Amino acid sequence: MSENTIGKKSIDWVDKRFPVVDLFERHLSKYYSPSNINIWYLFGFLLLIVLVMQILTGLWLMMNYTNTAEGAFSSIEYIMRDVDYGWLIRYMHAGGASAFFALIYLHMFRGMMYGSYQKPRELIWVGGWFVYVLLCAEGFTGYVLPWGQMSFWAAQVIISLVGSIPYFGEDLAIWIRGDYIVSGITLSRLFAFHVVLLPILIIAVVFFHILALHEIGSNNPDGIEVKKHTDQDGVPLDAKPFFPYDITHDFYALGVFLLIFCTVIFFFPEGGGYIIEYVNYEPANPLSTPAHIVPSWYYTPFYAMLRAIDFPLFGLTAKFLGFVVMAAGIAIFAALPWLDRSPVKSIKYKGIFSKIFLTCFVISFFVLAYLGSVPPTETKNLLAKVFTFLYFSYFLLMPFYTRFEKCKPVPERVGEAA
Amino acid sequence: MRKFLYLLFFFSPTILFSAGEYRCGLMECDNFEANVSDKASLQRGLSTYMNYCYGCHSLKYSRYKRVAEDLLIPLEMYEDNLIFNGSKIGELMEISLSKDDAINWLGAYPPDLTLEARLRRPDWIYTYLRNYYPDSTRPYGVNNKVYQNVNMPHVLEDMQNSLSVAEYDQVIYDLTNFMTYVADPSAEQRKRIGTYVLLFLVIFTSFAYMTYREFKKDLK
Amino acid sequence: MQPKSPPNPGRRKFLTYTTSFLGLIGAFFTAVPFISAFKPSAKAEAAGAPVKVDVSKLLPGEMMTVEWRGRPVFVVNIPEENTNAITNNLERLADPEMKDPSQPEYAKNEIRSRKKGIAVLTGVCTHLGCAPKYYPEAKPEDFDSNWQGGFFCPCHGSKFDLVGRVYANVPAPTNLVVPPHFFEKDNLLVIGSDGVS
Repeated sequence: MSENTIGKKSIDWVDKRFPVVDLFERHLSKYYSPSNINIWYLFGFLLLIVLVMQILTGLWLMMNYTNTAEGAFSSIEYIMRDVDYGWLIRYMHAGGASAFFALIYLHMFRGMMYGSYQKPRELIWVGGWFVYVLLCAEGFTGYVLPWGQMSFWAAQVIISLVGSIPYFGEDLAIWIRGDYIVSGITLSRLFAFHVVLLPILIIAVVFFHILALHEIGSNNPDGIEVKKHTDQDGVPLDAKPFFPYDITHDFYALGVFLLIFCTVIFFFPEGGGYIIEYVNYEPANPLSTPAHIVPSWYYTPFYAMLRAIDFPLFGLTAKFLGFVVMAAGIAIFAALPWLDRSPVKSIKYKGIFSKIFLTCFVISFFVLAYLGSVPPTETKNLLAKVFTFLYFSYFLLMPFYTRFEKCKPVPERVGEAA
Repeated sequence: MRKFLYLLFFFSPTILFSAGEYRCGLMECDNFEANVSDKASLQRGLSTYMNYCYGCHSLKYSRYKRVAEDLLIPLEMYEDNLIFNGSKIGELMEISLSKDDAINWLGAYPPDLTLEARLRRPDWIYTYLRNYYPDSTRPYGVNNKVYQNVNMPHVLEDMQNSLSVAEYDQVIYDLTNFMTYVADPSAEQRKRIGTYVLLFLVIFTSFAYMTYREFKKDLK
Repeated sequence: MQPKSPPNPGRRKFLTYTTSFLGLIGAFFTAVPFISAFKPSAKAEAAGAPVKVDVSKLLPGEMMTVEWRGRPVFVVNIPEENTNAITNNLERLADPEMKDPSQPEYAKNEIRSRKKGIAVLTGVCTHLGCAPKYYPEAKPEDFDSNWQGGFFCPCHGSKFDLVGRVYANVPAPTNLVVPPHFFEKDNLLVIGSDGVS
């Protein structure tokens, strides 16, 4: 009976030409996730929601934004005042940027904690890392667009960093700016990157990230490969389908996330100056630098590293070294799958050194985030050096401490003793 | 171990925190609580602004009509009493002071103040306007505790001299309140909508939670 | 693991449907700001605000073009002798009684205006949006040997009389639109507002 309905017929018609049923089952209805995954596994879904929100709100902002040095600042106020609900769309977009980073940091930390980057998930991890790098670029270019004081000087500082590269750095910086100082020309091209190039790349790499994940399947807090044990139909015994178990969990998480997010955008849209900087309410003025230039909170750990390097080494200038260290602080995440030599995945079963170093990493990340957001002093600079060292030691010593420490045995099945 | 990480997360900033300098120049900022739903206060503030500040400081991102509507002032009354330069009610609140004249007379172009309350915060404005003091070394004979060697004359000096301290404070309160409003005119609407959104989300999340629990029973 | 049958199917069904329904409501309200943002902004509203025109200098037979909301509005001073021509040409018009609502109620009269002698017409041909040309005099024209005065659209040959009523058997389907207008003072015409009634 039901086989003859129009709906069923249309699906059959499409399915003969495009594998719609198979795709739906493989990625949603029959995508199996381990039965022991916990709240750390909700951030991927939330990130996807935020990505969609950023694309939608961004599209709407773009309709009313003017990408010239003369018009940018007032076009933002035009959106905030003259466009119906323009303020809400902008606050969603600005708050969404902070939410994006908060969630991606939690998502990355989950991977580090449970060894989700380990074999056979190296490409998932590297793809995700690439999304993070693109997101950093997206955040930076977006930050410049309101063309306030902080926008201008952030662009000035970041693009000047490129100038530190020996031999051709200065020429490269001028080439990037398209001008001798940051100007409307620079603004225009950063706008093009922000609204076209980077979003396309982000969507493409996110697509790759999810495809790769669905091929291998999710890791879990125990680091057990659930696909090893299946019933006679080939369904993993220690896993559950996305419909209805994961989707209901994800929707619950979405509700909690939106409660927090909406509290922020409706009641604290500036986030105490962390989401929208107060200084950015003054139009860009190339002749006067604000007293404290700080990057957005999500870049401050790397900004602290940049400032910590104040000494030349091996004939390289301090400025260039700082740039290299900062870039390395972001790049080194990509190397994790090959730095970790541990026989086990999850921190639960790793030895004491892994636990200590991961803790050190987390502490240094927060301390550097704080140090990067305050004006430097001598003591703080020394602290930044210490914690930059600690930050990198988590990564660079990993091949040694993971190989020699004593790990606990991993159970064969979820919920069993080893 | 997880708890340990959480603890560190919350305490790491406080461990390193050190007290900064005053936000209001030579003194602490006075406490200022804006109340943008007090329309009478906003109307008085608007009137002070238009009569004492608007000659030099535009509000060029704001429109007369929006201010009139938000402050519950009838459009015709607004047009007759608060638009001095023949602008239409729908237009932006720009001023006719030319750049050259301003630089000749004042030495600099007075900044637009639409966003001043977001840039410097309302408590700064409130403190600033109440802390002019006589200083014969300055061109206008006044200086300011919050903004040292400020270029702006004390335009409210006569008013300050003729009013009691409490009355003057009230004038400045209303003016700052108006500037807080004009910097973020959607604040009231935003909080009203936000309340409904949160109420809805509480209901949605409760049901989403119960649904999640319902399906979770299968997994035990 | 395979999905199991629930212990209480009614409760499960109720919760699933309620949550989905609430989700739909949420999505619906989320769409509101995005849809509202497409409405004319305060800037567009200000640019489209009513326009004031002094018609005291407009001589009989003359026409002036005023821009309102980016479109031409024709203000015509119809001479005394031509007002008679308006009424004796009715048999050639498509809709002389103005059944089509292309004018405000107060202009649904034989002069299609609030004031005798002054016609206010949106200068956009109701066929495909060209601006019709003004041929005020009743004399033979290339396009009409028995021309009584009015507007002729050069694009596709639509003809209108002096108060913008369309001729029969031309491409334009309806009369020229009369925009909202009123006289604030005797000679001060306001286009774009019905005024206080």
